Amino acid sequence: MRALIVDDEAPARALLAELLGEIEGVEVVGEAANGFEAVRLAGELAPDLLLLDIQMPKLDGFEVLELVGDGPAVVFVTAHDEHAVRAFAVHAVDYLVKPIDPERLRAAIDRCRERLGRGEGNRERAREMAAAARPAGTYLARVVLREEGQIRILPIERIDFVEARDDYLHFHAGEEVHRRQQTLAALAAELDPRRFVRIHRSYLLQIDRLVGLDLYAKDSWVARLASGRKLPVSRAGYDRLRQVL
Amino acid sequence: MSARQAVPGLLRALVPLGLWLLAGLALAAAFALAAPGGLAETVAVALPLAAMLGALCVSAPYVVAASTLGGGRSGRALATALVAAIASGLLWVVVGSLWVRLLALGPFPAAPARFIAATALFFSVGTLGYLLAIARCHLRAAEERLRAAERQALEAELLAREAELRALKAQLDPHFLFNSLNSVSALIGSDPKAARRMCLLLAGFFRKSLGLGRQREIPLAEELYLAETYLAIEQVRFGERLQVAMAIAEETLTLAVPPLLLQPLVENAVHHGVAQLIEGGEVRVAARRDGAELELTVENPCDPERPASRGTGVGLANVRARLAALFGEEGRLTVDARPERYRVSLRLPARPAVAG
Repeated sequence: MRALIVDDEAPARALLAELLGEIEGVEVVGEAANGFEAVRLAGELAPDLLLLDIQMPKLDGFEVLELVGDGPAVVFVTAHDEHAVRAFAVHAVDYLVKPIDPERLRAAIDRCRERLGRGEGNRERAREMAAAARPAGTYLARVVLREEGQIRILPIERIDFVEARDDYLHFHAGEEVHRRQQTLAALAAELDPRRFVRIHRSYLLQIDRLVGLDLYAKDSWVARLASGRKLPVSRAGYDRLRQVL
Repeated sequence: MSARQAVPGLLRALVPLGLWLLAGLALAAAFALAAPGGLAETVAVALPLAAMLGALCVSAPYVVAASTLGGGRSGRALATALVAAIASGLLWVVVGSLWVRLLALGPFPAAPARFIAATALFFSVGTLGYLLAIARCHLRAAEERLRAAERQALEAELLAREAELRALKAQLDPHFLFNSLNSVSALIGSDPKAARRMCLLLAGFFRKSLGLGRQREIPLAEELYLAETYLAIEQVRFGERLQVAMAIAEETLTLAVPPLLLQPLVENAVHHGVAQLIEGGEVRVAARRDGAELELTVENPCDPERPASRGTGVGLANVRARLAALFGEEGRLTVDARPERYRVSLRLPARPAVAG
């Protein structure tokens, strides 16, 4: 079993490498000191197993797993995060707390062996866990995307609107458009409903970008954005807008 | 248990009865002196009238409450008390004269004449009795106010203790503790000497921070020792990513600071600043004297793309509240937040720390 260790602290990586080295049939193929490195190495090395720290700069453990996607089994590592631990329990995901207990590590590796080759659904699970690990009343703060091998972090503040097309979401931020695979309903559930309004089956609008609403036909409106762009507003979308405004 | 309690209960019920009897007998004696007559007649007049005055005095608390409503002036309260007392005295005399007339129809035909002879006595007793009742009510209200003030002082004290406890709890940041222990665990295998050094740093940090919480103020040197120890521990974890620069003016070392005031700012600088940067950066701590003020500054680089919600709100609010509580206008906390740099400054009166 080929393992990739992801932690931004060198002593923590060294400890995991040492402990994994003592477990038969496990080979540490790489160590990543941050999320970007982790995603790159996961692509290059195609490990069977990720040991993934939660708290890291720029990309946290959940976001790394979301970007790595299907493939490796995962064991999360955290020093102290009650919310994350609850999310792990709900999704039956293996996790370790620091300081690492070698016996627990061994038990987690054993369970991963049984699941080997079934590391599927990582992306959705990562998003769901990240949502569950968020304290109540807080919302998604940034969206991570992977485009042509490049990782992009899009802070929520920068999004003007999101458009659903086929299986993809198109994030419009100024001149830029980014896309990732997700449903509009799943994204909307993670955002602050006072800030983002589903104005149409295919459009989610950041409310402060709205400058005007024009009647277009009976029961049909057009939203005018600060950028000059116009978006269709459905009957239900109009009702939702009125509720928020 | 209940039987034992019943006896004092009964006694307590007997006390007013006894008092009333005593007052009644005193009134009878005074009546007999003012207008001599038969014993039976004297008692038949005085005892019921004493009860009557007792009943009238029941209204005294209402009079007091009405006259002191909305914190009225004492002059008004006095005037109200006098008017109510005189009215009560008059009412009592009227009731008394009706009562003696009733008695005259029965076995005591001389009662009205004697009562008229002692009218002045009855009027003064009625008025004074009522005034006494009012005075007692005022006394009780004052006692109540005193107790409320004591309770309030106690509550304020409790709040202060709670804030202190919260500061201490925050001090024992579980992230810091568990991550540090994990580092020790890692070093034991690769570098036992470094592991031992880390244990000593941790012990030094906790010993100091637990000791400091109990003191009202400490020399800045001690607070800085804590910050340096903390940063040294974090440097083991973060390695090259965490650089530290201290710029401390010599003369500030002996100045007094509230304990654990700087520490949360240093922790924020690591947690929300350097730890969020892949390349890391430098935490700068500075202390200087500016006239009559001590200025402490903590500065760190930060991620310009940090989410707005990832606040340092609670820790800062706590420090600000403590500054305000301790120094009022003279304590200030200012934040200079730029996209790539975060700076917090504290200003407080520069006073030498008391030795000990």
